[in-house]
Amino acid sequence: MKRALALVAGFLALALPAAALASPAPPATNSGTAPARYAAVPHIAAKKSDGFSDTKTLTRQFVNTDGSTYSFPSHTVTVSADKTKDLRGRQRILISWKGAQPSGGRASNPYGENGLNQEYPVVIVQCRGTDDSSLPLKQRVRPETCWTGSIAQRSQVARADGEASWIHDLDATPAEKERVSGMDPFPTAACPNADVPPYFTKLTPFVSAKGKTFAACDVNNMPPEAAVGAAFPPAEVAAFTDLDGTGSVQFEVRSDVENESLGCNHDTPCTIEVIPIAGLSCDQPSSPMSISDKACRKGGRFPAGSSNFANDGVDQAVSPSLWWSPSNWKNRFSIPITFGLPPDTCDVLDPRAPTGFYGSELLAQAALQWAPAYCLNKQRFKFQFNNMSDEAGWNLMEAGGGVAAEVSSEHEQRGANPVGYAPTAVTGFSIGYQIDKPDNAGELTDLKLNGRLLAKLLTQSYLGSDLGRGHPGIGDNPLGIMNDPEFIELNPGLTQISQEAGATVLSLSNSSDVIEQLTEYIAQDKDAMDFINGKADPWGMKVNPSFKGISVPRPDWPLLDTYVPETDSDCRKKNPAVYFNQIAAPVTTLRKIAEALLDAWPNVQTRCDYDPASGLYKLGRIDRQGYGTRFMLGIVSLGDAARYGLRSAELETKPGVYVGPTTKSLAAAVALSKQTKQYSPFVLDQADVRKSATAYPGTMVVYTAARLQNLDQEDADKVAQFIRISTSEGQKPGSGNGQLPDGFLPIEKTGVTAKLYDAAQESADAIEAQEEPPSDGGDGTGGDDGGVGGTGGGIGPGGGVTAPGVPGNGEPPAGDGASPSATPSNVTTAVQMPATSPVSSSLAGGLLPLLLLLGAIGCLVTLALKVAGPAVRRRR
Amino acid sequence: MTATLDPPETTSSQPTPAPPRRRRLRKPRRPAPTPHAARPARPAGPPTGPDTASVVLSSAFTMIALVCLWIAAQMLFLGALSENRSQELLYRQFRTELAGLTAPVGPVVPAGDPVALLTIPSIGVEQTVVEGTASGDLLAGPGHRRDTPLPGQVGTSVVYGRATTYGGPFGDITQLQRGDKIQVVAAQGRKVFTVTDVRRAGDPLPQPVADGAARLVLVTAEGSGRLGAITPDNVVYVDADAPKGYPAPPGRPLAVPDSEQAMANEPGAVPLLALCLALLLAATLGVVVARQRWSAVLVWVVAAPLVIALAWASTDVVMRLLPNLI
Repeated sequence: MKRALALVAGFLALALPAAALASPAPPATNSGTAPARYAAVPHIAAKKSDGFSDTKTLTRQFVNTDGSTYSFPSHTVTVSADKTKDLRGRQRILISWKGAQPSGGRASNPYGENGLNQEYPVVIVQCRGTDDSSLPLKQRVRPETCWTGSIAQRSQVARADGEASWIHDLDATPAEKERVSGMDPFPTAACPNADVPPYFTKLTPFVSAKGKTFAACDVNNMPPEAAVGAAFPPAEVAAFTDLDGTGSVQFEVRSDVENESLGCNHDTPCTIEVIPIAGLSCDQPSSPMSISDKACRKGGRFPAGSSNFANDGVDQAVSPSLWWSPSNWKNRFSIPITFGLPPDTCDVLDPRAPTGFYGSELLAQAALQWAPAYCLNKQRFKFQFNNMSDEAGWNLMEAGGGVAAEVSSEHEQRGANPVGYAPTAVTGFSIGYQIDKPDNAGELTDLKLNGRLLAKLLTQSYLGSDLGRGHPGIGDNPLGIMNDPEFIELNPGLTQISQEAGATVLSLSNSSDVIEQLTEYIAQDKDAMDFINGKADPWGMKVNPSFKGISVPRPDWPLLDTYVPETDSDCRKKNPAVYFNQIAAPVTTLRKIAEALLDAWPNVQTRCDYDPASGLYKLGRIDRQGYGTRFMLGIVSLGDAARYGLRSAELETKPGVYVGPTTKSLAAAVALSKQTKQYSPFVLDQADVRKSATAYPGTMVVYTAARLQNLDQEDADKVAQFIRISTSEGQKPGSGNGQLPDGFLPIEKTGVTAKLYDAAQESADAIEAQEEPPSDGGDGTGGDDGGVGGTGGGIGPGGGVTAPGVPGNGEPPAGDGASPSATPSNVTTAVQMPATSPVSSSLAGGLLPLLLLLGAIGCLVTLALKVAGPAVRRRR
Repeated sequence: MTATLDPPETTSSQPTPAPPRRRRLRKPRRPAPTPHAARPARPAGPPTGPDTASVVLSSAFTMIALVCLWIAAQMLFLGALSENRSQELLYRQFRTELAGLTAPVGPVVPAGDPVALLTIPSIGVEQTVVEGTASGDLLAGPGHRRDTPLPGQVGTSVVYGRATTYGGPFGDITQLQRGDKIQVVAAQGRKVFTVTDVRRAGDPLPQPVADGAARLVLVTAEGSGRLGAITPDNVVYVDADAPKGYPAPPGRPLAVPDSEQAMANEPGAVPLLALCLALLLAATLGVVVARQRWSAVLVWVVAAPLVIALAWASTDVVMRLLPNLI
């Protein structure tokens, strides 16, 4: 638990300076040139602190038959949220509360309609509008603008009077106490099943951002994003309050990209409504009490702290279903949130051609916030960041396809031009996880891993399921990491029910500096290397023979296993596939891994579907994991982890010391890194990390790499500008345009990152200067191979070779001294050209004489024999 | 094999037991399709002991002389006939294409197709340029290097031509002087180039070609010394410029295979050579068999054209295995 707090504190530590630093003058980038509505965004961010906290006293009241009022003991509830400004789609913010009524009947999955059968939960929904009664109705937050993914969460349709407790709500207007209510006029035609006497119906229609009203009485009257099996799992949650009255949840916000009907974006204010359910307050009952009067006065069937695994029915008056009922709604905490600019802002608002930077995905979250600070300022160029593997970005930069590459390690220089590296951001990767503790005890918040466990996961040495038992050589290995005694010893108290997802860590399929650093970390772990080289671990687990002795570090991780299990399953017989590779199923981007973790949806491809019509089987991705039984690991970038609120495992450094990614541990790693020569990257030696007790092994510095020579001056200026801006205003933590998001360590002029700052400025100067290399005549056009060299500089794709930029020494190129007067070309200044290289062939020169000589000899000898032969015979 | 034979004196004084075996070995080669072979052969059968050595030696040297002289003759004289014939056909084909507006403009033209008509009045050259610079392509005339624009188009186009063999179309280009005109007619029109220099190893490369201008580089080989005419061993270049070129379509290959570079050969022709030699061998065996049934005159009349044709074809293949600029 302590570690969990430390971890949360780490993230807060990243977030709090953001709030502190946001207040001094808003970045100069957005002043003036940007359209007014966009310019407003950073100002809002600058005015207030980023967090939210509020306290309310909630009391449930009954009016007795005699008109007197009975009040239950009050709860003084404090709700706080860690981030509320400039949010982005699917970002998760931590909402916590204390002092609430402890919940009962805890559901294993509290999200969406699965969370309805609970008692006294805290309902959290995202709504469009501002909670301000002075605003016109359209901009105000109402239950009608709050998003739910199902009908049952918002409407009560055709209920018997035992389930119609809302009609006795103390705070309800007479109209809301009618048998049918919620819309006026009631949409009898659209909802024929809603108005059925004597049953009660209360609709909470949904009003979309465009103003369309969905009656929410059946599936035909719901917004499109609420379709069954919608693209995103429900985000609204009925969260559980522990016995001490506290609780917390990571709430995922949705922008209009994910949910157009809800329509939250940078200029549509939204709120998150936190509604602790204290139970309905009830009006004066009839005498004797009707069934619905009694229903309103119910207090719950489940004891506080209990679980409701069977999804049994609960008492409606204390359930989350009636969150919209006035006496619940008035207990709401409205957390106002704002959204950042959408990712396509620059494409929409800036017609200039973008300048592409290519490379490491580690920079993705920072680039998302940085880009508007460039494109909305006409003094700057239009920055565009394109994710691709470090190697591909590097090659593009070297070949001239991109002005600069974003890489996080030294790359082999293949071209003739020297390359300078400028540190741009300090971030890294982590092993993200989504693991539930057994017995509905919530999510695991601290996970420890070491090099050998990672080596076991990467080398596909866990069996996944009994299908893997037949694998030659490793049939006795554990099925998944959760069954591995080493893991159990390190992380006690977790479930040992195996899942296929527990046999793998979702990784990258392409080459990446992240994989290089991760495998370097493994390579520096003696136990891990012993394991890879074939030595069984102390519990007898052996490495998958396909990976035995694999060389590390390496920039890409191959899938080497070839084992196809033999089973009786028709599906597997018809679709034979390498089982372990189906389990590993690496993906191409870190973002996909982050989203898979966010959805707890492993990329394990072993699900079998049968189509009875065609009689064919299909293999595909397994289902999302159920809440309470989630177990998934994946390699994520620290930027993604911060945005999506993913938890990161602590990695072993010294034996027995485990370090997670925090500001402090990143800084400690930066302190260990060294630069060998000017303009080159800093090297973080994992051997040093293993000696340190504080440095995080996954720390990586992202560099902007650009050519120091022969880069177009205009592009060179842009790259230098980018390096200077990103290492100054781009390092101010915050969520505004041009600021540094969470998950990054700011590079500052002082402290451990000072050396990075200095190196960045040096490289920026060198890139801007584009100094010419010492002249040595032509630049490699002459004489590199016999055939082409002969015609030298004349042959080039595109029909012409432009003169090299080397000024000549005035010597005319002609062979016999005269000026090339006959050359009708407009080249005015002669350039010094390399000499024609000799091409010759001794065969070509000697062949004909040799043939003639041999022919002559043949003729002569034959002639001689003709003459001499008979003479010899005659003599004899 | 001839080196293993004993000196003639020894064989004539004491017959060894070896000759009969050798005779059987030698027999198929003896009635070679030439008049020389027919004379020593006696209708009664193989020669008797004392004659054997001299006959064998004589046959072997005859063969060497024949093969060498034939190849030399074809390279120097018969090949010229062949090249003339190819030029005639190519010229006809190209003028039809020009008239029909179907002449190729690039970027990719099938190897061996005519692409331009090259005229150098000062040295009396008029040749149709074919696509491709492999040794086999150059048998038909000068060849255009495939990774350069076609002659007359913007940029530097390169044309290879043989110096000595197969008509030696480029044999005289080293005599060109600065200012001489080279006229090129290609699909896009007529273009006159002015020679800027004749460039040998060590000379500086010409200035980079100006934007929009065209340059033609003629490449051949030349020898030096008394036997210079038949020992073309060094590559020589003739540069010629035209102020404005026709537009060149993009999409040319970026490089050519090794076999199409200067002084390269085509190792790929070896299987074909094996086939030709096998056919020659078969023809020889056929002649031996035929001689036992028919009169010499008849066999002569029937076999000679066949064998000459085969020898001609084999030599063409041999040429592909030799450097392409000679």
